[in-house]
Amino acid sequence: MLEIVFLIPFVTGAAAFFLPTTIGRSMLVLTGAVHLILSVLVWAGQLAPLFPDYFSVTPEGLLSLLVISLLFFLISIYTIAYLKASDIQAENIFTGSMLLFLSTMTMVTLSDHIMVMWIAIEATTLASAPLIYTHRSAASLEATWKYVLICSVGIAMALLGSVLVTVAMDVGKVDAPISFSAMTEVAKNMDPMWLKAGFVFILVGYGTKMGLAPMHTWLPDAHSEAPSPASALLSGVLLNCAYLGIFKTNKIMHAAGLADFSGPILIVFGLVSIMAAATFILKQTEYKRMLAYSSIENMGIIAFGTGIGGMGAYGAILCLIHHSLIKSSLFLTSGNILLGFGSRFIDQTGNLVGRMPKTFVAFFGGFIAISGFPPFGIFIGELLIIIAAFRTDNYLAAGLFILSLCVIFAGFANNIMKISFNSSDAVNRIQEEASLVWPQYALLLTSLVLCFWMPDTLYQTIIHAVNATGGGF
Amino acid sequence: MIHPVDTILSLALLSILFSFGSSRLPGLIKVMAFQGVVVSIVPLFVGHEMSTGGIVFTIVTLAIRGIIIPGCIYLAIKRVAIGREVEPIVGYHASILAGLLLIVGATFASHRIDVPYDSISALLLPTAISLLGAGMFLLMARRNAIAMVLGYIMMENGIYLAGTTFSVRARHIVEFGILLDVLAGVMIMAVILQNIKQTFDDVDTARLRTLKE
Repeated sequence: MLEIVFLIPFVTGAAAFFLPTTIGRSMLVLTGAVHLILSVLVWAGQLAPLFPDYFSVTPEGLLSLLVISLLFFLISIYTIAYLKASDIQAENIFTGSMLLFLSTMTMVTLSDHIMVMWIAIEATTLASAPLIYTHRSAASLEATWKYVLICSVGIAMALLGSVLVTVAMDVGKVDAPISFSAMTEVAKNMDPMWLKAGFVFILVGYGTKMGLAPMHTWLPDAHSEAPSPASALLSGVLLNCAYLGIFKTNKIMHAAGLADFSGPILIVFGLVSIMAAATFILKQTEYKRMLAYSSIENMGIIAFGTGIGGMGAYGAILCLIHHSLIKSSLFLTSGNILLGFGSRFIDQTGNLVGRMPKTFVAFFGGFIAISGFPPFGIFIGELLIIIAAFRTDNYLAAGLFILSLCVIFAGFANNIMKISFNSSDAVNRIQEEASLVWPQYALLLTSLVLCFWMPDTLYQTIIHAVNATGGGF
Repeated sequence: MIHPVDTILSLALLSILFSFGSSRLPGLIKVMAFQGVVVSIVPLFVGHEMSTGGIVFTIVTLAIRGIIIPGCIYLAIKRVAIGREVEPIVGYHASILAGLLLIVGATFASHRIDVPYDSISALLLPTAISLLGAGMFLLMARRNAIAMVLGYIMMENGIYLAGTTFSVRARHIVEFGILLDVLAGVMIMAVILQNIKQTFDDVDTARLRTLKE
């Protein structure tokens, strides 16, 4: 019974709203562990869907599911220490929403029906809205408002796009279930004009949620106002879920022979996102916002790679996995910095290396990994994307891509150096407990290990996923 | 003879113009409730064979779009913001003119598209496009947060109309899921609105400008 993977967190999440906070905390970790075990079972092919019309296991879904599960488990361990160190009102709402958020994101990875996918992605918005409002401040209220309104309106566009895709079936006189797998098979007979229109709306809709510029405006606000464990989930896995919607639609486009329509659009959106991130990251004064812009950059890289295709598509999936691992670790670390210095501003921090050495290691390691230094996975992913861009004669796009990456690295490095080595007279407010740092180490280590040794089953799954969009070597 | 669907759809088009012209929030909410009712009864008249499940689903849609969603927002703004202006960025007369142009444009555009909707009603696609455009217009041309939520609902109504053909394919459980999402979304927005009102003592989004680059 495949559906149990998202039903369990749903039930425990709903229960956590009414239970005392201590039980809620242990339930968070316990559900995370159970979820991880179930995800491994799904990976091993042990669970069959009860409703195959709506849910199925796809390679791209499997990859996202395993990333979500691993991340949530590690984040939940961190969350307990974080909750102890910070004071959060209405903690049961926080834990309950975290679990519901996990449930809805799992549903996204497993859904095959185009409308169920939409329902699940919209549900992730709703489940995560209370997380952003956890601090109950005027600024967090503003961030929540923007998040819910912009994402709901954006995702409404994706609903329209999904409707248009079904219209493409009607016009093409195709009779098939409206699941992604069935539609990919009959894509050749679907009406190309309506399919193109549907793709554009779905890209704009889910692109809003994924944080592609110019629809990204909610993202820095939401990521900076949410408590760090929630930011880590938002950036590490929520953005992937939105990408999954675009990826599956792109698969239909490829099957319909419309890849030269969808590719350039993805490339343009990707480049605009990377350049927007490069513009804003240079003058950032808050470190969590800086990390948020880096997420926009990485989503841009992934969209760009997907648009390029070939080796680029493989690189995009690599970036997707490694970005999740590294960025969530960075957001968790930023939570330590926030707890330690009590400020979001880069100017009010400093001397991280002396004050919080364990946090510094995680922070600096994360920075090196996310900036694309070899041997980390982001480096390999970006390299493959650049090579693929040159191979397909996209010289201008590749040039802009490389230039923006350099600018982002400069801005990022400047701020990281300030935080790490500037002198500071602020008082350190926390002890670096083990559970406040080792989840980050575990995430970074996983990313590092995957660069040197990738299990064959993982490699095959990635290849299998990108093959459908003309990817691979 | 005029088909009943055309009558209903023209009422929906009329509600766009009314909503653009209303200056007070309670009036705007009432217009939206009316629009919700009108839009949700369209499937009853489009000529598909209606099963019992289909009729039940239409009634549920009617209750949610016509009563619960507007009711939610009305409750959220009760007490303080009642009778407040919608704080237009574009004036009312200009808005109505824009609404008229939008409807004309939508009709013109949908004549140029090869549509599978023609068998149902020639007005279906223009109305759906107009509702979508009008919803976006309200989102952009009103500073009041409640008017923005109503704009979102109007967009949803438009998409619902565009999806009436798809309802033949999908099972009602899926449609119900979509409706539930929209409902939950509006409820969460209503809660946020209440909090905005308490924190800022206003629902003017001009005050929500602290987070920016």
